Amino acid sequence: MAVSPPYEPAIPSWQRGKVASWLVTVDHKRIGILYLGTAGLFFAVSGFLALLIRTQLARPDSSVITGNSYNEVVTMHGTGMVFFVMVPVLAGLANYFVPLQIGAPDMAFPRLNALSYWLYAFAGVVFLSSFFAAGGAANTGWTAYPPLSLEALGNGQDLWILSIHILTISSAVGAINFIVTIHNMRTRGMSWMRIPLFVWSVEVYAWLLLVVLPVLSAGLTMLLLERQFPGTFHFFRPEGTDAGGSPILYQHVFWFFGHPEVYIMILPVFGIISEVIPVFARKPIFGYKAVAFSTVAIGFFSMLVWAHHMFAVGMPTYLNIWFMLASMVIAVPTGMKIFNWLATLWRGNITLETPMLFCLGFLSVFTIGGLSGIYLAAFPVDWQVTDTYFVVAHFHYVLFGGSMMGLLGGLWYWWPKMFGRFLSERIGKWAFAFIFVGFNVTFFPQHLLGLSGMPRRIYTYRHDGLWEAYNMLSSVGSYVMGFGFLLVLLAIVKSVNGRRAGNDPWQADTLEWYTTSPPPPHNFDDVPYVTSARPLYDLRRRLEESRA
Amino acid sequence: MPPIVRSSRPLALVGAAVAAAVLAAPALAGNGGFAPVPPESPNAQGIHQSYVFISIFCFAIFLLVEGLLIAFIIRYRRRNRPRNADGAQIHGASRLELAWTGGPVLILFVIAAFVFAKLPGIQDVPSASAGNQNLVVDVIGTQFTWQFRYPNGVVAFDTMRAPEGRTVELHVTSPDWDVIHSWWIPALAGKIDAIPGRVNKTWFRAQRTGVFQGQCAELCGLFHAKMLASVEVMAPDEFDSWLAQQQQEQSAGTGPLGAEMWTATCAKCHGPSGEGDYGPKIAGTALVSDPQAVEQVIRNGFGAMPPVGRDWTDDEMTAITTYLKENLGG
Repeated sequence: MAVSPPYEPAIPSWQRGKVASWLVTVDHKRIGILYLGTAGLFFAVSGFLALLIRTQLARPDSSVITGNSYNEVVTMHGTGMVFFVMVPVLAGLANYFVPLQIGAPDMAFPRLNALSYWLYAFAGVVFLSSFFAAGGAANTGWTAYPPLSLEALGNGQDLWILSIHILTISSAVGAINFIVTIHNMRTRGMSWMRIPLFVWSVEVYAWLLLVVLPVLSAGLTMLLLERQFPGTFHFFRPEGTDAGGSPILYQHVFWFFGHPEVYIMILPVFGIISEVIPVFARKPIFGYKAVAFSTVAIGFFSMLVWAHHMFAVGMPTYLNIWFMLASMVIAVPTGMKIFNWLATLWRGNITLETPMLFCLGFLSVFTIGGLSGIYLAAFPVDWQVTDTYFVVAHFHYVLFGGSMMGLLGGLWYWWPKMFGRFLSERIGKWAFAFIFVGFNVTFFPQHLLGLSGMPRRIYTYRHDGLWEAYNMLSSVGSYVMGFGFLLVLLAIVKSVNGRRAGNDPWQADTLEWYTTSPPPPHNFDDVPYVTSARPLYDLRRRLEESRA
Repeated sequence: MPPIVRSSRPLALVGAAVAAAVLAAPALAGNGGFAPVPPESPNAQGIHQSYVFISIFCFAIFLLVEGLLIAFIIRYRRRNRPRNADGAQIHGASRLELAWTGGPVLILFVIAAFVFAKLPGIQDVPSASAGNQNLVVDVIGTQFTWQFRYPNGVVAFDTMRAPEGRTVELHVTSPDWDVIHSWWIPALAGKIDAIPGRVNKTWFRAQRTGVFQGQCAELCGLFHAKMLASVEVMAPDEFDSWLAQQQQEQSAGTGPLGAEMWTATCAKCHGPSGEGDYGPKIAGTALVSDPQAVEQVIRNGFGAMPPVGRDWTDDEMTAITTYLKENLGG
């Protein structure tokens, strides 16, 4: 990173080494890169587990991974992707770009920021160590429903609980940091209606984390206590009629966290889409306020819908009806966003560079994920499709086709800012093609598998022509997708010698493009007074006017 | 300026592959999984109708969104304009935005109204009439077996027999010491969880005879994938005589109950002939020839083995111990 000595405060010599400087850094950009790199490693691990699953399921009665090993792989894949990939990778991007986008020199609490990264890294070590625990890793799914998770032998489940405990502290600390930064460190002129939409989405992401994570921590603490002291604590196991607990209680606690968690993983990606589409359509976002407020609305309603994951447990009808209607209400602000993005394309000057390709890909597949959600919200239909491959397809359309695809768009978009060099456009387009095709071939048939009766989380299935065909198709698709990610890796490696990017390679609108690529410590020498949500667009226009 | 590679090859590839994947699928069989398993009971029928009704709207919205997306990409792509030329600087349009807020609200209202209209037919157990009593069957999920208990004391494992055209009311549960399972025969209704400590109710009225497959739909551990279930629907008089015969055989200790229990409960872990699989080899051991020791293990569990038979009756215990002694004893 280009560092000019006069601006550098005195740093002890031992902290200046190539490795040591990263270990002790409190710079939000370096911490952001640490987050992204670590999450990348976890993506490789969890992605490998996903390919193992598809390899096992390519044919019925395979013996690649069976029984408890299969359950371990499913659990670690899901937990890894949710807790150790999506949430931290977004924390990484937010770390890097929130201060830059609001014209701040750093996060509000740089040391706290470092703490939250290192807690994440530590949680990751605890998580991975569970593979080596007696009895193997956790094998009760990423949801860890009791009584099954109470009965799991060995310490894999305990390490799983502890790793998530540590992670919740990391995320809560990070969330506080984001909120304080966004509220207090915006540059002159940047009112709430002028902050970039990515920052809006991180604001809601952070509040959601702060509200729902303590609930998860409480639930997991109860689980841990009941596992370790079975006679003393009985929150979830219904032993006896009076003294016992209820396994349903855990599900309520878990999903009160779990559903907002889905939005925690997708809202910042909505933010990325809202940044990229206007820049590559050469237009302002269509309906800034609608997009910003729909983010807030989604965040709010996401906390009122949790039990739509539990329609099959036999809740009273009035509760089913409430959770069905509340879930449907969320479709409205989500639909608003999709139409606002479409309208942003309307009468634009659309350039199909890689960031835009991924974001348009997001738009096309996320729509399918949103629509399949309506079936799951209508509880009688949910009774038929819940806990089947239909659900697996649904949430992969939302979280992979949605979050991951948008994230790749963000990666190609922001990489030049982070490292001063482009990711290859040529490789990027091929990566997009492989990932987009592979994704749809993998997950579309899973809707059909679920509808025709295949439950999720099974390591083998009936000999049935249709099931065998769809499973094979799905497995083939997963390898195509895997190859696409190798291309992403190739692009990253080759970017070391990639084309140099100037300050503002995409002619974008937000403040991060005002400084150098990569930005120096503390980011800016000066920040222009912000007069709209597009400060750099305004600046360019003023320059043109003065030239004319 | 970024390098601008104007290549449409990847995009064409994308389109072709997706189209092929989507079109090839339904050709394979029946509805091809594009709708739930063909319903054979009024409640499954109601769910199926709701599914189709929702699909109409979803498909329309899908076409609208993807159509606009593709049309806009084609119509408003850069072509010969300079990359950085402004598009139309439109900041929004309140009426349009109100329309795509109000439209979905209306659609969701219609969907909800349809589903609520279908709900009683799906959820409510049809009340019995004088000539047509409901058959009540207790469905008990344990790791990794389904037990069916009929009002006259008859018990069956993994395969439920039911009469055609008569309402069968299912009381679904799991013992206190077990885990959560989920009862699901797609052709005969949606899922209902079997939860320790509570009894959930569902029902079906099969419209034709035949065997309908299903399986446990809630991760319940090691052999979740092997926790299969089926419902064999018989003609009513055939069913009545089957039930009577079972009652007689099971109380007399004759009949195949022991073998059924072995296949459903023991063989999944210990192998089809007790040769050992996940669980240890038990064929030919001294244990299987000792009914009291077997009962001890089955009722209390042993090591990793769950107490599979804690709640079995004495008749049932005799059936399994006799079977073990006769077929696996050394």
